[in-house]
Amino acid sequence: MTSSAPWTNEWMEMQQKYWQNWADASQRLFGQETTQATAWGNAMDHWWKALAPAASSDMARGFMDKMVEQGKFFFQMAEELTGKLAGAGSQVDWSAALDNATGSLKDAFARLGAGDQSVHKMFAFWELPFDNWQRMASSLSPVPGDVLRNMPTEGMRSKLDRVLGAPGLGYTREEQGQYQELARAAIDYQETLAEYLGFFSKMGVGAVERLQWQIREAEQKKKTIGSARDLYDTWVHCCEAEYADRVMTDEYTELHGRLVNALMRVKQRMSFIVDEYLGALNMPTRRELRTLQDRVQEARRETKRLRSELEALRKQVGGTAAAPAPAAAPAASPAPAKPAAPRKKAATKARNGSR
Amino acid sequence: MLPIEIRPDQLADEMLQYSQKLGKGIENLLNASEIDTGVSPKTAVYREDKVILYRYDAPEGAKQRNAVPLLIVYALVNRPYMTDIQEDRSTIKGLLATGQDVYLVDWGYPDQADRSLTLDDYLNGYLDRCVDHIREAHGVDRVNLLGICQGGAFSLCYSAMHPDKVRNLVTMVTPVDFKTADNMLSGWAQHLDVDLLVDTMGNIPGELLNWTFLSLKPFSLTGQKYVNMVDLLDDPEKVKNFLRMEKWIFDSPDQAGETFRQFIKDFYQKNGLIEGTVRIGEHRVDLKNVVCPVLNIFALQDHLVPPNASKALKGRTGSKDYTELAFPGGHIGIYVSGKAQKEVTPAIGKWLNERS
Repeated sequence: MTSSAPWTNEWMEMQQKYWQNWADASQRLFGQETTQATAWGNAMDHWWKALAPAASSDMARGFMDKMVEQGKFFFQMAEELTGKLAGAGSQVDWSAALDNATGSLKDAFARLGAGDQSVHKMFAFWELPFDNWQRMASSLSPVPGDVLRNMPTEGMRSKLDRVLGAPGLGYTREEQGQYQELARAAIDYQETLAEYLGFFSKMGVGAVERLQWQIREAEQKKKTIGSARDLYDTWVHCCEAEYADRVMTDEYTELHGRLVNALMRVKQRMSFIVDEYLGALNMPTRRELRTLQDRVQEARRETKRLRSELEALRKQVGGTAAAPAPAAAPAASPAPAKPAAPRKKAATKARNGSR
Repeated sequence: MLPIEIRPDQLADEMLQYSQKLGKGIENLLNASEIDTGVSPKTAVYREDKVILYRYDAPEGAKQRNAVPLLIVYALVNRPYMTDIQEDRSTIKGLLATGQDVYLVDWGYPDQADRSLTLDDYLNGYLDRCVDHIREAHGVDRVNLLGICQGGAFSLCYSAMHPDKVRNLVTMVTPVDFKTADNMLSGWAQHLDVDLLVDTMGNIPGELLNWTFLSLKPFSLTGQKYVNMVDLLDDPEKVKNFLRMEKWIFDSPDQAGETFRQFIKDFYQKNGLIEGTVRIGEHRVDLKNVVCPVLNIFALQDHLVPPNASKALKGRTGSKDYTELAFPGGHIGIYVSGKAQKEVTPAIGKWLNERS
């Protein structure tokens, strides 16, 4: 593709008109209540859809998605905050408007922590750490990482405890037990995940308070946040500072450990069940493979050790001429490389004090 | 003057500029060809299982080379091409320029068949045989070691276990005290049930490590970074550099389960290097056995290995020749920044040449 692709210029002109019209309209609307599905978000979606077909490679599309996603976020944030502050002309009004705006944000974070999914999309940025976890969890499991996220937690354990506590009966007793263990592990994980999300929502409140403080400090220092990008960078700074403080606490490190451990217990129960099925099909199980791997590794270790001792003995009895490189393991093979002999000569010279 | 003043027309203009940059930049993204990494010419001189020992070619017109070869020991996490990531940002190239005869051990990508590899297999097996190969090829008794990050901890252990094979030791951004108060990774590792993790997963997936590293600064590393990239999109070379770094960040080999188990338990949870409780195979690792000259380099803004974690080495080895070098940058910047090329690599070369 050349740098003067025709679609680029047309697309740029279209963008120019689009944003001009948007700016005119928004100037008339500013001061009115904004909705969560903001005009900025819709606009970004709109133009990205127009552009996306050109980004044919997965890599380019992946990067552009990330840049669009972040762009959407920081313009949405600027729009919402400036919208809430619009019309607050005096310092007193402005201060109250700031309290009001940040207060709304804090309320929303609190709702998020209480499991209100209606605000989930609004906090896509704040949920980056949580989102990263879900992606990672998905990659380790056949079950999507967010499958348990929206499952109701309240009272679930007490309702299921009786069912899960019932002893298995008959020929399938062991199998029933395995599934009960898996269900218990899944509930544990889901509860820990909810706790983890709750922790982040508390962090969110703290980050908003930092933002509020930063804005007031800017006011005192007669500084101005004059662009969406400035505001975004300030918000990122507040989020990172709050995050860094909180994730070093005992509360978080303990929760972090429990989350990983809970996921592993689910995964472990799944593996047991899969192994049972593989065994029933007369297929090699993971446990059997690991036993073999351990034995093979032990044998290889021993072989390498013996080979090393043999080489040393050969040298002792003066049989080095026929021997290959010292301590070379059976699998070791000098790669088709440049001979090192000329350097050996230089090295010997140097060892004798030429350097 | 109000602290936030963003007019709708300004906002629209900013949005327009952002979208225009993206529109123009997508062509540079599409035009970015295959990302090349590991730019300096090298030759594989020894292979064993998935481990490859490379020797870097001497630069054209090179004068006298240091007679004691230098072996770089990289971490098991991530890939060692970070040390040679691009033509103008290469620690390897800088070391070659100072006359070092540079070798690098590439641990490869372990798979489930490598799950049982232990630290003993890595250090007293693979690494020791690489060192022996170099000693034999050069006719020297001892080599210089340069350990990076986890590879630095490995190099310390190796030097303590085989002091007769190490002439000089350089440690870069190397954790020694794993329980300093500012060590975020260590805090997170304390409550991990490592046995459950390794018994369940076998090897530890690279994805889990990626998540851990990105979680150190999640908003910057998974959000803001991409906004910053928009400003670079109009420069094809900068786009390529960004993509190269992105490739490295997510190019995380799985970790051999048994090695991971031991490393987390003994180093992170028990702080074994400081406590003197690390046992590798038949050896107990006692830092006092490290008697060769030591150059300890750390980065002052390192969020992965805080400077205090590295500085703890001072006074703990048996060396009478201990030097520290503090670099004003981060964990990655110490290899790739322009400042590092000018300051760190020449300093290592000079230090080694004075002692070899």
